[in-house]
Amino acid sequence: MTDPTDFEKRTREVLDEGADRLDGRTRSRLTQARYAALAQLEQPARHWWRGFVPAGAAAAVAVLAVILWSPKPPGQPAAAVDDMELLADADAPDFVDDGEDLEFYEWAAGEVET
Amino acid sequence: MTAFVTLAGVYSTPVLSSVLGSERSRDQGLMTTSRALDQFLSSVEKRAFKIAQLGLRNDDDALDAVQDAMMKLVQSYAARPVDEWRPLFYRILANRIRDMQRRRTVRGRIMAWLPARDSEDDEEFDAIAQAPSQDAGPAKRIELDEAIGVLETAVAELPPRQQQAFLLRNFEGLDVSETASAMGCSEGSVKTHYFRALESLRSRLGEVF
Repeated sequence: MTDPTDFEKRTREVLDEGADRLDGRTRSRLTQARYAALAQLEQPARHWWRGFVPAGAAAAVAVLAVILWSPKPPGQPAAAVDDMELLADADAPDFVDDGEDLEFYEWAAGEVET
Repeated sequence: MTAFVTLAGVYSTPVLSSVLGSERSRDQGLMTTSRALDQFLSSVEKRAFKIAQLGLRNDDDALDAVQDAMMKLVQSYAARPVDEWRPLFYRILANRIRDMQRRRTVRGRIMAWLPARDSEDDEEFDAIAQAPSQDAGPAKRIELDEAIGVLETAVAELPPRQQQAFLLRNFEGLDVSETASAMGCSEGSVKTHYFRALESLRSRLGEVF
């Protein structure tokens, strides 16, 4: 780089002088701006996927709501749910452990049908 | 006592002490970066404000532009090497100034259709704004005031690219390659813009300077 000419030096001095003469309000606002920028360093890093968490939660709630409150098809009045409850209940009779009982229930069911 | 012995044993495990150690070194790294950024930003903030002020001719807009550039630098480029911060910061600032100039052009077109409003009535007395700045003697001060006013007016009236090249090269002291990086153009373009800016200012201010 060539040495700056007198004109360049003079213009730089004058511009520097202008920058040094900033009023109190401007200096104070520049300091505030600097502190605000630096405060970002102390905040924990945000991961991109965190922005989707509320939307995902809302979607899950909506799906659950649709499943729970949707009208049941006619002819299937909560049978599946009742069976599940029966099988999950520890106090319910044991249908599968005893082979004899199972045969008895099959025979009883046949009698009822005839 | 038993609990203390048990905890002391846990805290002295190599895994935990390495986790605590890495946490501590992360904090130290953060502090070093924060201090370096603080130093860098305080070294450029006044000149950055003057550059934005000359480009935008409005103090509040200039302050907003500088603040945005500071935020963006810290947010996105704090981890970059320190010697890259200056051109990056001025590139962000230049983009911000250009965006604001464009927005103002659009706003000006819209406002031209609305009745004028006297903004002087909204001005309130601000003690900080009225605080005296660093002072020279009265005669010297008047002479400098005049020189500053004349030069800043002339610089503000330069075409934007010439103004940018002149301020970054002469005022901020960036070299040609850093200026090219900040302006997003070739080094040849920087030289051309700078030369034209100097010619224009010399022909206008030759007698004063």
